[in-house]
Amino acid sequence: MKILIADDHPFTLQGTKSFVESYGYNVIDTCSNGISALNLINLHEPDIAILDINMPGLDGLDVSKKVQETKLRTKIILLTMHKELSIYKKAIEYGIYGYILKEHAQTELEKCLNEVKIGNRYASIHLQDELIVSENNENDALAKLTLSEKKIVELISQKMTSKQIANLLFLSERTVEGHRSNIIEKLDLPKERNILLVWAIQNIKK
Amino acid sequence: MYVLVLEFLEIVVNTIEIDTFVKISSDYSCMKKYLKLCFVVVFIAISVWSCDKKNDRIIYAKNETEKLDSTCVWLGERKNFYKENFMPVFYNYYNKKIASKNYKDAATALEIVCIKKGYFSVYDQEFLTTINNFSENYRSEVGFYATTFIDYYLGNKYDDAGNFKKAIEYYSKITLKEPNDFTTCKNIGYAYYNIAFCYYSMGDQDLALKNSYKSLEYFHKIDYPIGNGYAHTTSSLIHSANKNYNLALKDNETAFKYYLQAKDTGNVYITLFDKIIIYEDSDNHKMYPLIDSTYKAFTKSGIKNDVLKISFSVYYAEKLLEDGKITETKKILDYIKPTVDELDSETSTNEYITGYANYEIAKNDGNINTEIILKAIPTLIENENYQVVISFYNALKDISIKNNDYKQALFYEHETQKAMDSASTIEVKNKVAELRVKYQNKEKINQIELQKKSLASKNITIAFLISLFTGLLLLAIIFLIRQKQKKLKLEKQNTQIYTKQLLEKTEEERKRIASDLHDSVSHELLSLKNSFEQKSEATDKKIDAIINDIRSISRNLHPVMFDKLGLKSSIEQMVERAQSYNNFMVTESINYESGLSISDELQVYRIIQEALSNIIKYANAVAAKITINETNSHINIEVIDNGKGFDVAETLTKTDAFGLHNIIERSKAIGGNAKIVSDKNGTIITIVIKKS
Repeated sequence: MKILIADDHPFTLQGTKSFVESYGYNVIDTCSNGISALNLINLHEPDIAILDINMPGLDGLDVSKKVQETKLRTKIILLTMHKELSIYKKAIEYGIYGYILKEHAQTELEKCLNEVKIGNRYASIHLQDELIVSENNENDALAKLTLSEKKIVELISQKMTSKQIANLLFLSERTVEGHRSNIIEKLDLPKERNILLVWAIQNIKK
Repeated sequence: MYVLVLEFLEIVVNTIEIDTFVKISSDYSCMKKYLKLCFVVVFIAISVWSCDKKNDRIIYAKNETEKLDSTCVWLGERKNFYKENFMPVFYNYYNKKIASKNYKDAATALEIVCIKKGYFSVYDQEFLTTINNFSENYRSEVGFYATTFIDYYLGNKYDDAGNFKKAIEYYSKITLKEPNDFTTCKNIGYAYYNIAFCYYSMGDQDLALKNSYKSLEYFHKIDYPIGNGYAHTTSSLIHSANKNYNLALKDNETAFKYYLQAKDTGNVYITLFDKIIIYEDSDNHKMYPLIDSTYKAFTKSGIKNDVLKISFSVYYAEKLLEDGKITETKKILDYIKPTVDELDSETSTNEYITGYANYEIAKNDGNINTEIILKAIPTLIENENYQVVISFYNALKDISIKNNDYKQALFYEHETQKAMDSASTIEVKNKVAELRVKYQNKEKINQIELQKKSLASKNITIAFLISLFTGLLLLAIIFLIRQKQKKLKLEKQNTQIYTKQLLEKTEEERKRIASDLHDSVSHELLSLKNSFEQKSEATDKKIDAIINDIRSISRNLHPVMFDKLGLKSSIEQMVERAQSYNNFMVTESINYESGLSISDELQVYRIIQEALSNIIKYANAVAAKITINETNSHINIEVIDNGKGFDVAETLTKTDAFGLHNIIERSKAIGGNAKIVSDKNGTIITIVIKKS
């Protein structure tokens, strides 16, 4: 199992290397910029390349893209300070296998490597942190819903039709209908007429 | 009058100064009042002025005739003039007045005598000496105006003697003065009239006409129809002399009207007589009807004027001859014979003789009185009436041939030839005069046309100049406006460029700070976290929290990896964040690839960020939607919400409307145009950016 590590911060690079080695992996090479990383990937064809995103020359995403384009077998794990879903989404497009945050490397890197090694993808559990805002006073059922779904339930409780809701939320009627069935599914409600309305009236505090 | 007006003006101005200017001079409405007052003052001034002008045209009223004392009245009566004691009475009176230094009365008497002597054409040396004496010694005492009769009398004297130049000299002395009352005006009118007559007699018809018009000018100023009649009569004579018979007739008819107005029947008939002569000279067919009617009217009127009676009768006789009424002609001639003899006037007698000679020739009964014909001839020659002379000689020649007196016939033939020559000379002269009139008329017409033309061309030039000037002015104005617009446009462009640069620089700076924070500080913290020998959950958590804070700060400073992720992803991220952090329902529909530069995209991002932040902060909306639509030429951005809305115009004037101005200015900076519409149902912000 050959592993390549690229990071422009020497200290972090050193840290990562020692972590990886401590997990019993073979670090065949390290470098501090994207161009070298790409060259080394081409040269060594490592099984896994752990790349930082922000690097001089080519950044981690660029390298991922090139690797994907040249159909190299190297699996890429991005180890970054960017806690951004948008970046993660972009990276997924480039066929990366892992996305972990540097501050959580200690706890997640081993797990990630293990998953990637067997061909699974791994994304840091902390990436979604900010998106799930848990409000403690909400009932558990509502916590499962997205913001749109919550808004729709709220409006249903005000006895609004799908059309009215669609207008109010700048959505299409079909989208609202889609959300409704999703909500019913998420809440595991029985298939009855107006079940969502009944549920909403019962559960939404005015 | 003017003095009064000036005083009035002064009072008005003073009042204004005190009431309006000092108290409330800055008040606009007062200024208006003042202007109004000014108008009133100007109006009054104008009306006063025009009144004054009118006064100029007002006829000099007739002076109150002074009461004359008995001697003067006596001297003034016409019948007394030829009396033996006329002059002694005058001298007696005059010398007495001079001795008592009563020059005014002396002048009055002198004037009366002057008029009388002038009327009867008597210019004796003794009286002339008296006049000269008075003129030298006392004239200044009475004043020039009151003594113009002296110049008039002396003028008359030279006039009568045929010394027209000298006469004109005296008359001109009178005309040099400005009239100041009825009498002076009348005297000046008469002086011009006499000058006109002098020139007429001298044959200088142009000057004659000029002076005749001048006399009319003065007679018009006074209510004096006789004067107007005289002036028009003179004009008529002058036109006749110029062979300009149409104008002559016109003046003759005008004079006729004036004499009628003055009820001067004598002059009415003289004017009619003149008219007959004009008809005769111009071979007008209206002559005989006029003779007929005039003769009849004259006989009926019973006017005692032998000269006129003879003239009209002779004309009437001629008319009767023309009609072939020979016996009646004889009757008329015989009827006036005693009058002719009684009058014993050369002119009248000659008229009679000519008339009679005509009759003799016309009766043609073999018993012709050749003597009377021969008698008539010299006068006719003198009057240059050669046609009649020729006919007379022909008649005489016929008689001589009849009487077998061939020698006499030959003599008459010679005379006929002579008369014919003279006639042709006259005819040529007339022709020349006629042609001259025609030429003058034509020249006048040409001149008028030329003047008209030059006036027209002048007008055209003026119009052209005005339009040219206006055109130039317009051009200048347009040029200035263009220049100003250009300048403004340039300034605007510069401002826009500056704004854009400022915005870009700001973004660069923010980006740099963000990446510094993110890359360096975060990594330092990370090293710190890892450097602890003794791991502690609390420290780790604290450091993670700090890292998250820095992330948040850096993200707020600049959207993370904007260059890499592009507009669409960054906005999606923004929307997601709004949903999760602010619990605000935002949807997006982005149809955009890459129509703008990255720096412009960043501005679009900022605009949407601003709009969204405003909605979350103020709109109280249930939801919002962000739409970006890219067409071939434009990028259309729309941010709508269903919040409470706001008054756009009012908000824009407020100083704290930074958010809205931020949107508008950023749009402008990237060559776009922002439109904000808001009401109680929500707000729509539309930005249209033209693709470069």
